[in-house]
Amino acid sequence: MLRLKAGIAALAVAATMASAAWAQGTLRIGMTAADIPLTTGQTDQGGEGMRFMGYTVYDSLIEWDLTSADKPSVLIPGLATEWSVDAEDKTKWIFKLREGVTFHDGAPFTAADVVWNLDKILVESSEQYDPRQAAQGKSRIPAVASYKAIDDYTLEIVTKEPDATLPYQMTWILMSSKANWEAMDKDWEKVAGSPSGTGPWKLETFVPRERAEMVPFADYWDETRIPKLDKMVLIPLPEPNARSAALLSGQVDWIEAPAPDTIPAMEGNGFVISSNAYPHNWTWHLSRLEGSPWNDIRVRKAANLAIDREGMMPLLGGLMVPAKGFLPPSSQWFGNPTFEVKYDLDAAKALMEEAGFGPDNHLKVKALISPSGSGQMLPLPMNEYVQQSLAEIWIDVEFMVVEWNQMINLWRAGAADPSVDGAMSINFTYFIQDPFTGLIRHLDENLIAPNGTNWGHYSDPEMQELFKQIKTTFDPEAQDEVLRKTHEKYVDDALFLMVTHDVAPRAMAPKVKGFVQAQNWYQNFSSITIEE
Amino acid sequence: MLSYFFRRLLLVLPVAFGVSVICFMLVQIAPGDPLTAIMPVDATAEEQAAMRAAYGLDKPLPVQYAIWIGNLAQGDMGKSIATGRPVAQEVFGAVQNSLLLAVSAAVIAFPIGIFLGFLAGYFRDTLLDRAVTALSITGVSVPNYWLGIVLVIIFSVNLGWLPSMGAGPGGSQSWEWDWLHMRHLILPAVTLAVVPIGIVARTVRALAGDILTMDFVQALYAKGMSRGDVLRHVARNAASTALSVMGLQLGYLLGGSILIETVFNWPGSGFLLSNAIFQRDLPLLQGTILILALFFVAMNLIVDVAQAAIDPRIKRS
Amino acid sequence: MALAETDAMQGGKTEKPQGYWAGVGARVVRDPVSMICLVVVLLLILSAIFAPYLGLPDPYKGSMIARLKPLGTEGHLLGTDEQGRDMLARLIYGGRLTLFIGLMPVVLAFFIGSALGIVAGYVGGMTNTIIMRVVDVFFAFPSVLLAIAISGALGAGIVNSLVSLTIVFIPPITRVAEAVTSGVRALDYIDAARATGASALTVIRVHVIGNVLSPIFVYATSLTSVCMILAAGLSFLGIGVRPPEPEWGLMLNTLRSAIYINPWLSALPGVMIFITSLCLNLLSDGLRSAMNVRD
Repeated sequence: MLRLKAGIAALAVAATMASAAWAQGTLRIGMTAADIPLTTGQTDQGGEGMRFMGYTVYDSLIEWDLTSADKPSVLIPGLATEWSVDAEDKTKWIFKLREGVTFHDGAPFTAADVVWNLDKILVESSEQYDPRQAAQGKSRIPAVASYKAIDDYTLEIVTKEPDATLPYQMTWILMSSKANWEAMDKDWEKVAGSPSGTGPWKLETFVPRERAEMVPFADYWDETRIPKLDKMVLIPLPEPNARSAALLSGQVDWIEAPAPDTIPAMEGNGFVISSNAYPHNWTWHLSRLEGSPWNDIRVRKAANLAIDREGMMPLLGGLMVPAKGFLPPSSQWFGNPTFEVKYDLDAAKALMEEAGFGPDNHLKVKALISPSGSGQMLPLPMNEYVQQSLAEIWIDVEFMVVEWNQMINLWRAGAADPSVDGAMSINFTYFIQDPFTGLIRHLDENLIAPNGTNWGHYSDPEMQELFKQIKTTFDPEAQDEVLRKTHEKYVDDALFLMVTHDVAPRAMAPKVKGFVQAQNWYQNFSSITIEE
Repeated sequence: MLSYFFRRLLLVLPVAFGVSVICFMLVQIAPGDPLTAIMPVDATAEEQAAMRAAYGLDKPLPVQYAIWIGNLAQGDMGKSIATGRPVAQEVFGAVQNSLLLAVSAAVIAFPIGIFLGFLAGYFRDTLLDRAVTALSITGVSVPNYWLGIVLVIIFSVNLGWLPSMGAGPGGSQSWEWDWLHMRHLILPAVTLAVVPIGIVARTVRALAGDILTMDFVQALYAKGMSRGDVLRHVARNAASTALSVMGLQLGYLLGGSILIETVFNWPGSGFLLSNAIFQRDLPLLQGTILILALFFVAMNLIVDVAQAAIDPRIKRS
Repeated sequence: MALAETDAMQGGKTEKPQGYWAGVGARVVRDPVSMICLVVVLLLILSAIFAPYLGLPDPYKGSMIARLKPLGTEGHLLGTDEQGRDMLARLIYGGRLTLFIGLMPVVLAFFIGSALGIVAGYVGGMTNTIIMRVVDVFFAFPSVLLAIAISGALGAGIVNSLVSLTIVFIPPITRVAEAVTSGVRALDYIDAARATGASALTVIRVHVIGNVLSPIFVYATSLTSVCMILAAGLSFLGIGVRPPEPEWGLMLNTLRSAIYINPWLSALPGVMIFITSLCLNLLSDGLRSAMNVRD
């Protein structure tokens, strides 16, 4: 008996060794999240969740073009092949759905599935309602009022008011399989263990907090996006140094967000650092309440001119894009602002003097910052750098340091809330990928906190008119033009203290080939191969 | 013997109750909203309220405690806020992994500690004694989380001999007793063993030294017993105290491995706990601490009973 | 027995004749290891207290271009940290918080635990049962776990760390105090004192405290190094002191990613924790053998 056991053990060893040698196309990724993102459809864990568990296992009706590193990504057809708003009734949209798409479990994808999935996150009385997915998805589609399947491949969505940003909203909603949910006894917890979507990757195994393994879905509808790898393994490694050590010791082939100080060691060992601009910014969101010094455009412009953004580079290992505006300079909506965001201390001092400040009359401001937080880059040293820069133009910054979770609460509460304690700015980094998240939500007077995320209580009829135009301009090109004008106003009025953009650095072993880093929060993993 | 066991067991019950109260209180002293970490940042107040209701956090505290303790009695420890998975399932999986690590560390630490301590105690005030004492005091003084980082740099990054993280190539669920998996255990277990080596060595040294100078040992020598026989007697006398120290140490290893598990990304209870803390996942925090504390209580009980079995004098006190 | 001008609560030296403490002192002084450790610990404490007068650079003021300079850089004897702040200054200033949160909880726990233990041991009965059962409950948690649990729930911060660590060290001290007091209480001369009609408070103050404080004190000193490591561990985990305060555990954490650029530099805070804790351990051992107190 014992001998038999030993024999089996030996076989098992041999088998694992063999599979290790055979699986040449396995890519192991160290994520920054502490857990595997929610696998049932709408993901949690922020942008990383959508990147690794969203657009891999699932599709949405409309997706982002992730094929190019050189230009900002734009919307492309996903499970919908075309969409348009009704010529008469601007609240009525028709989506034509892709035919011949199947879920991983073999069930066909139809308009009824879209309705079922929307009910999953919007209709609490529906059988498939899942509070966890709803928490992640509901707030992404504020425009949706109702929806119905016209036929198997035609879907109608009615919005609450005319809203031309609906296509962008629909990129958030991922389609899980109804048939699979029924096969799993209508229990989302069971679905989590073996989910089914229409995406290019199938989730094969899933060990909570430890790993998720994905294999290609051979029947994926877009042949160019059928993965070339044999397997992709996701490993949560929240601690930056554990992540670096795992890459350097060969236990993973790719890590997200390497700590800047470890980059020289990685490059020295032949590892490749990939990075690219993407819609993220690091700013101070300014309070515009009565009495805030930031209400003076001269002070806002002076602060923007006082920061030597290039000087910050060494701290971040060069991995940053100095801000030229609110959106990254490469954005399709950047436009041509007349105010140039740059380092010009003399001009900054002149503006401050014009505003009545000087060596004998310092301006005191209170700024809200957090020592950590997702997407915050290196908040403490960066803020200290800003503090030192502003001191040059007689702005004395006093920091109010709070924990990240508390910071989220203060951000939701808004500048006027007593808990903010009179702070005049908040250092909150933004996901700015679409018109709503990128521009509207920060400054819309209807979204003044706590009813929305206009933290600073900004209100300007001119801006409001631009937002209205964004929502009512249904021609994409004309809409882009309005978006550019909106951003120009953001910059020309110096509405934020614009500091820098992250470049989503990732470090990978030299054997990882074929990755194209799109200018997006999401990425395409299908083109990757491993070269032994 | 059996009656002693039941008497001790009876004493454990109020302690277990107190432990449950402390674990529940932990959540109450925590500031802030436990749901903040998992809501999308721009969720509306209405959506947050719905979420709160879904987790039963809208009910008054005594009701929450009654529900919690009632469910606990049925083995239901609630659901993790961050993952939605049952806490019991998460904690038991993690405790198994921690136990694997703690026992491995104990297997390394106890024999080494006993051996060193015995040497030092037997050859008291010699150079050997001083060397062992210095070694053991170094062991208890070194911050082991720092040692762990240093070992990773040397053995994983620079030499590439041993993996730096995880519980095996396929995660903890596919654990096997083979080299491929066991090499993942070496660095964290060695790091974790450093403190107990020091403590066990110190304890055994003191015990052996003390007993050797006691009257009855001198009497044994006088009776003409050989060195080996005397040693055996000494060992038996020291066993009960040594056992209690080692039992406690095993408990400490299990409860105290959080820093080491974080350094090595070991999927144990400490790692779970640190995740729970940073995601403010209070049900998970509560559950993990409860299970670890109850384990520690049980460990103490076992040690007491075992001690009584070895040394009958204890039962009387 | 010179009882006249002693105040037990303040001085902690009553019944034992001056000769006893002089003897202990003499024995500690004669032990070279203890003396070296004592000097090191005193140096650390003094330099921490008088840090502002040592002419050190500002420990909070950084420079982006002077980041992670190696040891021996001109103007920065021990180099600079990840924000270009002077390491020597940060290590010395770091001693303030590290030693404070490393030692203060034991001091607080010493007073609270002794008081609880002496009361429980002296009064006995129901009071003893209540105090000791509550202590048992806290004892059911391994110390690291309890500290992390309380700190984790309360969140980061100096006060929170102090609270959690003090709670951790009260139960063991109470236990020792209770055991010692119960032992002393049974002695004949206490009965004699009570028979003469002395009030309980007087008996405790005059007779009990003097006899029990020294073993409790020795026990408490043995906890200081554990407390130091634990306090630094909390900061290392991110639930202790908050940045940008200099504190060794936190510095160890924030310098971790510099280990690939400048390993010596990033090891320094760990070395400081190690040296301090080593000295505290050796000092406690020396004191123990000087007082001839057995485990």
